[in-house]
Amino acid sequence: MSGPKDGHPSPGDGATGRATLTAVRPSPRPPAPEPPRRPGVARWAADLAMGARFAVNGGRESWARTIMTAVGVGLGVTLLLFAASVPSMDSGRNERTNAIAAFGFGEEPKPGPGTIRLAQANTDYGDKDIQGMVMAPDGDRPPHPPGISGVPAAGEMWVSPALKTLLASDEGKLLRERLPYRTVGVIGDSGLSGPAELRYYAGITQKQFDHVISDYRIDRWGAQDTSGDDLDPALVLLVVVGCVVLLLPVLIFIATAARFGGERRDRRLAALRLVGADTHMTRRIAAGESLFGSVLGLAVGAALFLLLREAVGGGSMMNLSFFTSDITPTLPLALAIAVTVPASAVVVTLIALRAVTIEPLGVVRNATPKRRRLWWRLLLPVLGIGLLLPLAGGFGAGSSGGDLQTYQAAAGAVLLLIGLTALLPWLVEAVVERFGKGPVPWQLATRRLQLSSGTAARAVSGITVAVAGAIALQMLFASVEAQNTEETGQDPNRAQLILNAKVDNGAQANDAFARLRATKGVGSVLGITLDTVSDARSKKKDPADIPTDSLTVADCPALREVARITSCRDGDVFVINGSDSYVAPEDAFVKPGAQINLSVRDDGLPSPDKKKLWTVPGSATKVRPREDPTGATSSGILATPGAFDIADLPDPQAQAMIRLDPKVPDATEYVRNASASIGPALDVIQLSGTSQSSEFQTIRNVLFIGATATLLLIGASMIVTTLEQLRDRKRLLSVLVAFGTRRTTLSWSILWQTAVPVVLGLALSIAGGLALGTLLLKMVGEGLAVDWAGLAMMTGIGAGVIVLVTLASLPPLWRMMRPEGLRTE
Amino acid sequence: MTPAGSLLIADDLHKSYGPTPALDGANFSIHPGEVVAVMGPSGSGKSTLLHCLAGIVRPDSGAVHYGGRELTALSDAERSSLRRGEFGFVFQFGQLVPELTCVENVALPLRLNGVKRKESEARALSWMERLEVADVAAKRPGEVSGGQGQRVAVARSLVTGPRVLFADEPTGALDSLNGERVMELLTEAARETRTAVVLVTHEARVAAYSDREVVVRDGKARDMAGVR
Repeated sequence: MSGPKDGHPSPGDGATGRATLTAVRPSPRPPAPEPPRRPGVARWAADLAMGARFAVNGGRESWARTIMTAVGVGLGVTLLLFAASVPSMDSGRNERTNAIAAFGFGEEPKPGPGTIRLAQANTDYGDKDIQGMVMAPDGDRPPHPPGISGVPAAGEMWVSPALKTLLASDEGKLLRERLPYRTVGVIGDSGLSGPAELRYYAGITQKQFDHVISDYRIDRWGAQDTSGDDLDPALVLLVVVGCVVLLLPVLIFIATAARFGGERRDRRLAALRLVGADTHMTRRIAAGESLFGSVLGLAVGAALFLLLREAVGGGSMMNLSFFTSDITPTLPLALAIAVTVPASAVVVTLIALRAVTIEPLGVVRNATPKRRRLWWRLLLPVLGIGLLLPLAGGFGAGSSGGDLQTYQAAAGAVLLLIGLTALLPWLVEAVVERFGKGPVPWQLATRRLQLSSGTAARAVSGITVAVAGAIALQMLFASVEAQNTEETGQDPNRAQLILNAKVDNGAQANDAFARLRATKGVGSVLGITLDTVSDARSKKKDPADIPTDSLTVADCPALREVARITSCRDGDVFVINGSDSYVAPEDAFVKPGAQINLSVRDDGLPSPDKKKLWTVPGSATKVRPREDPTGATSSGILATPGAFDIADLPDPQAQAMIRLDPKVPDATEYVRNASASIGPALDVIQLSGTSQSSEFQTIRNVLFIGATATLLLIGASMIVTTLEQLRDRKRLLSVLVAFGTRRTTLSWSILWQTAVPVVLGLALSIAGGLALGTLLLKMVGEGLAVDWAGLAMMTGIGAGVIVLVTLASLPPLWRMMRPEGLRTE
Repeated sequence: MTPAGSLLIADDLHKSYGPTPALDGANFSIHPGEVVAVMGPSGSGKSTLLHCLAGIVRPDSGAVHYGGRELTALSDAERSSLRRGEFGFVFQFGQLVPELTCVENVALPLRLNGVKRKESEARALSWMERLEVADVAAKRPGEVSGGQGQRVAVARSLVTGPRVLFADEPTGALDSLNGERVMELLTEAARETRTAVVLVTHEARVAAYSDREVVVRDGKARDMAGVR
């Protein structure tokens, strides 16, 4: 048994009554109350809450810091919310596009009360695409397109709001002539892929369809098979890398914003240490402040998103427009943003505070910072390369791409680009420690960089990632552009426009050519009229099996456009030899002296029963074919009007090759208007040497919009960071000015301080960008091709942003260098 | 003392910050090699007087004459040049450039005057030896004690051989032992080089190092020479 623990005599120890020194020993002070021990989570929560309270109640400075963080995070969150809305924007657009589709696939329904006869009547107006359809009901219950309440009667049309505005404007004057229908209604949102879409539905008579080349019937609207084609794997890769390149700088910006005003906050936290807060507590409190700022940033971002969403919805950029209701973030992505952004702010703050010791009497930054280690910084890009290398050829033509490969590509690109931001502080440190000698501004700048290269590196890490990603993207883009840009075979030097029209007879064809020649802006028109003819001597029973070829009737200049004719006079006939005719060699029947059948049935097949015969003259010359201006090769018989009466063609089609007068503005529009007056759905083709896939164009447009937004954000981030650093050094700047330092000296020092990390960052981004670009090209199965002009442009844009930011920072810098900054009272 | 033979003379200085007057007709003069303490309670206008005398702040009215020149008539560049060459400064805190080593800090004013790096650092080192801080020459300000840092600042203020040294609460952030040592070294060096010292302080034991005291109260400066 041990004795009394506290030294008090116990009642039965036999010493009672004896006045001993021990007995009268003063009772010890009661032990100090232990601070209540909270479980870990509760303590964290309490400290974070205290930090949040400081963010609100810490006076003007706290509010300034909180607002800076909130605005910075808010800008980033806004972009993230837009990015998170892309899936719903895409699906909303696709759903409506599918609903308004009127495909005539499969077996065409027979005319009946529930069918409608249609033809595409799309047209271009300047650089605007106008989607149009002409229609005529077969009965009394025709299906009508979504967004309108009924099928337009002949001579009437429904138009989209954007087309209505265009038609009512001065700009739409020429278009009004082309659409000679009375507007009876406006197409509702459900009938449009986007609010800026230019679309019309016009009613015509059944008779007018006689002049329509391609018409069909449907008994319901909407695409029956909505699965659609999968995106080209190379385009998938472009989208994935594009997203990574655009969003990584945003995330870096959010991380930077969480550190805004950190140095002054640390000094305030020293006061908390003085009243008993331990190191961990102060870190948690600091994290709480950042957490509050970032949560406020979420709110700011959401508010900005809602405001901008209204502005973006209804607007149009690069032929893309979205309804406001479509711009809605998907729930999982929105939740991920709501959780990740505040969590990142806390983590970033805790990491930043590792290099700082907050003591009760002030903040001690590690005077000689720990040397940065290279191994883990190299590990990230190496891991990225390790993920990307096995994908070589995985996104090439004919490969399937696949979800797993897509994720692997995204992860590889992320690791490689994040690796660059991790390498940058090491590189800056390693390089600047070799500097020192030089003029005062250089010395001030390099010494500052030696002391805290991390701040400088952080400021340029966003632009490093953006430029590296942009270089890689540019390389991939050049390759994908080549894949998606096809030589059309068209020759716009020989003719700029081609008009195809269905005519009743040769007279109508000649009339159409004459009207086109008389159109303002038309230089010349070469017209050919052609029809299908069949082998009159064929023994085949089934009309579908009887060999057919074409008979083209035109004057000599027009015939020279489709065949290599050396000598030609009216009355001559030619037979094309050696063309890529669809007629099999054993079925070839077109030769001098051959008898051909001109007669066709209503369904377009040869009519063996009611033959209308014509014999190819024995004097017909054999000629080689020549690609016409559209790149097509003719076959069959070529006859001049003197040799064949155009009126004998039973079902002719007219084609006009039109050369425009380059001096007449809007000549194309005049021709389109003339063609509309000839027939309601005539096909006017504008010839061009190359064509790009519409998906590629859309992706390029979206990436351009995203890149612009990202660069603006990076610029804003750098301005805030620079101002923040300047404000922290306000007093020192004033002291330096007080003892006579020239302002230019300090300006140069600030410029060097920015330029050194920027140059290093750009060098790193070029190296990283080329590496990533090379890997991406390997993935799409292309050889290394560096677009040096693109690379120079990207680097120039990066440097330009820095110059602009520096210039924008100079006025506040000069203001802060006033000696009045010495005043403390 | 009379303004006759004075190196620096201020005459009827007025300066307000917004509606608050900081100086309200203050007069001041100092002779070469003289140490004058400017005393007064907080917010009395001591620092503003120092800033006006040094050409850091332009007074609203009144004149500051230095070596026959009217300071308020000089351009900002001319006043900066004057501060660089003929004036020295010591402040209470926040004056050393944290990223430069102590010797580079001391050499900075010389380098700003175009003196070569090696020569300026050699001269800086000799001043640092004199002020007993040569051992911290290669350290950064964050790595030295407050007293050492202040002596580095004093060395920096004297390295160009200024004719006037302006010291604003130079010992305000130091303990008494360190403060006294800084004052001993500062006044000793100043007297040796016949540098005039304008010493702003509110501590009597610091003012005791001066030859004369001027008390600033409500923006007016009163010479205590006759009172002492």
